[in-house]
Amino acid sequence: MAQGIVIDTMFWGARAEGVAALERELARLRRVQSAHARELVRPIARASVLNLIVYADREEHARRAARSISELALRHPSRAIVVLADRGSREGVERRIEMHCQLPIADGARQVSYEQVLVRAKGDVDDRLASAVIPLLVPDLPVFLWWTGTPPLGSRSFGDLLRLTDRLIVDSADFARPEITLPTIARISEDARGRFGLTDLNWTRLTPWREIATSFFDVPSWRLFLEGITGLRVGFAVDMDGRDIHPSQALLLVGWLASHLGWRPLETLAPSEAGGLLFAIARPDGARIMVRVRPRFERGLDEGDISGIRIQATAGPQQAEFVVKRQPSPRHQTATVVLDGEKRWERTMPLPSPAIVELIGEELSILGSDRTYEAALGALVELA
Amino acid sequence: MFRIDHYLGKETVQNILVMRFSNGIFEPIWNRQYVDHVQITVAETIGVEERAGYYEQAGAMRDIVQNHLLQLLALVSMEPPAAFDDKAVRDEKVKVMRALRQIAGEDLSTNATRGQYTSGFIEGAPVPGYREENGVAPDSRTETYVALKLWVDNWRWEGTPFYLRTGKRLPKQSTEIAIQFRVAPHQLFSREALGGLEPNALVLRIQPDEGISLRFGAKVPVQGIRIRAVNMDFDYGASFMVDAPDAYETLILDALRGDATLFTRHDEVDQQWAFVDPIIKGWADAPGGPAPYAAGTWGPGEADELIERDGRKWRKA
Repeated sequence: MAQGIVIDTMFWGARAEGVAALERELARLRRVQSAHARELVRPIARASVLNLIVYADREEHARRAARSISELALRHPSRAIVVLADRGSREGVERRIEMHCQLPIADGARQVSYEQVLVRAKGDVDDRLASAVIPLLVPDLPVFLWWTGTPPLGSRSFGDLLRLTDRLIVDSADFARPEITLPTIARISEDARGRFGLTDLNWTRLTPWREIATSFFDVPSWRLFLEGITGLRVGFAVDMDGRDIHPSQALLLVGWLASHLGWRPLETLAPSEAGGLLFAIARPDGARIMVRVRPRFERGLDEGDISGIRIQATAGPQQAEFVVKRQPSPRHQTATVVLDGEKRWERTMPLPSPAIVELIGEELSILGSDRTYEAALGALVELA
Repeated sequence: MFRIDHYLGKETVQNILVMRFSNGIFEPIWNRQYVDHVQITVAETIGVEERAGYYEQAGAMRDIVQNHLLQLLALVSMEPPAAFDDKAVRDEKVKVMRALRQIAGEDLSTNATRGQYTSGFIEGAPVPGYREENGVAPDSRTETYVALKLWVDNWRWEGTPFYLRTGKRLPKQSTEIAIQFRVAPHQLFSREALGGLEPNALVLRIQPDEGISLRFGAKVPVQGIRIRAVNMDFDYGASFMVDAPDAYETLILDALRGDATLFTRHDEVDQQWAFVDPIIKGWADAPGGPAPYAAGTWGPGEADELIERDGRKWRKA
C-alpha cells in the first residue's frame, strides 16, 4: 500500500468522525476556550466573516495556506476548510475522507479565534469531495475558493466546489503550462459571469507595473505615443538554470495592453530562444508591433516576476522609448523616458513585493469580479 | 392527554417564544412591513434507515411537515399570547393555523413541490437511492422532500410568503428559521460597494449549533467603501456553558407536572391536517411522482423554481 501523508495533529487538530462529531468537537473547543478566557477576564470572540476553502494536493502547500490564513485571521476571520487531496495514496487505497479540526487563536492577538478544518481526501474522491465540504460551510457567509496549483477544468470536484463559490482565487504563477492554463482560466471566467468572481494573485502582483506604465501616458505630450507603439519587450525572472519558465505575469501584462489599446493578433504566440516568446500584434490602424517576452536571470526575484518593460513608439517624426527596470535593486523600479535617443525623464520608486498572505488578504476583501483582468485574459486567449 | 411533538421540547424552539415576547425590539418589526419573507428548513442527512415500513406510508409530508414544520411556522407567525400558559399559547397557535391559506387544485403545482432522493454522496460516503433502500417499493412514489410556499392570511402577514422545506439525504443536517427582512428603502452606496451586501436576516438555529445570528452589512476595513454581509452570532453552548436538556426529558417532566403548554392540542392537530390533507390528496391524484434529486444535493430543481419564480433564493443553510 502506498505510504500516505501523516497528519500532524498538533497542527491540524484532532481527527473527528464525520461532520456532526466535528461540529461537536469545535463546540467543545469553543467552550473550553471561553471558560479559560473568563478566568482571565479576557473574552475571546468567535469570529468568522467568510468561508475559505483552500484546495491543495501537497501537505506543504496546505500548511503554507493554513499559516497565511492564520496571519489573516484578524482581518478576515474565517471558517477555513483546507482540502488536502492526498495524491500520493491514489492507487490501491480505500477511498475515504477524513476530517480534523482546530480552533487556532489569530496571530498577534489573543481575542479572536477562528475555525480551521482539514478535509483530507484519500484515493480518487473526485465524485464525492464536495459532499464532504458543503456541510462544513458556515451558513450565509460568502465562500471563497483558493485553488493552489492549476485548476483542473474537467474535474467534477472542481466544478462542484465552484458552484458553491462566490469568488475563485488562483495564482497563475503556479501554473506549469501558462500558455494552456491561462486560456482555461479565461473560459472559467466566461462561465463565471454573474455567478462568481475570479481573481489571480499574479494579476495583483502586476498592479505596480500597470500603474507605472499608465503614468507615462498621463503626460499630455507623451500620450500621442500610445497610438504609435511599434515594439514591446517584457522580461520575466527565471532561475539560474533557466528551467522554471513561468511567463504568466508577463503574458498578463501583454494581454492587458492589448485589451486596452485594441491590439489584434497577427501571429499566434510562438516560442523563441530559451523559453521566451516572440510574436507580432496588429494595432487598430493595422501597423505591426513586435512583442518579445524574455526570460532573464536576476538575483533576488521569484520565478515569473516581471524584471522590466520596454515600450518603443513613434509619434510623427519622434521616436520614444518608455523603460521600466528593477533598479537600483530588485525592490525598486526606475522609469525612464528616452525621446530621439535622449534621456528626458527618470524617476525611481520603491517596488512593493507583497507576500502571498498580503495578496490573499487584499483579494478576500473583494467579492465581485475584476473586469480589467477578464479583458486582459480575453485578449490573451485571442493571441494564443 | 399529552400529545408529544418533540420539537416543542427543544430549547431553541422554546426560545423562539422567549426571543419574540421577552424582548422589546423584535416584535415591532415582526410583520409584513419589515419582513420580506420567512424560510423554515428542516434538513436531514440521514435516509430512511430502518423505518421504511412506516416511511413508505407517511412520506416527508406526514413525517415532518404536518407536525414539526407547521409547529415552527406557528411559533414564528402567531400573535403574542396574553400569558405563557397552555390555553393562551395554544389558542394563538390554532388561530394562526386557521389563517393558513389552503393549497389545492391549480395552486398545487406552483406552491408545493415534492422530491425523492436517488443515490449520491453524504459527507464523502456513497449512499443508495430511496427506491434501493430495504423495504421500499422499487416504484415507490413516496416523497422524501417537500418544499412549500405558504401564505398566512391575516393582518400581520398579508403579502409575506413563508417558504418551508424539508428533506432526507440533504447535504447537511440543519433546522433553522430565517426571517429575511426587506432591503433598505434607499441605497446611498455605489453598486460596486454593495457587491457583498445581502438583506438583513435573523436566523434562529434549532440544530445543530443552537443559537441565533443576525446578518447585517458592515464596512470592509479597506480604503473606500466596500460592504460585506457579516453575522453577529449568539451561540447557546458557549454562552451558557451547558448542553441544552434533551427534548423528551423536558416534555416528560412537563407532562408529570401537568403543564400542557408545549404539547399539541387536538384542535391544533385538526388544523394541521386540514392544511396538509388536500396537498397529499392532490399529489396522490396527480399523474407523475416526486421529482428525483441526488442524495447530497439541496433537493430537486423544481424546489429552486418554486422560490426563484418570486425573485428569491433558498438560503445557503
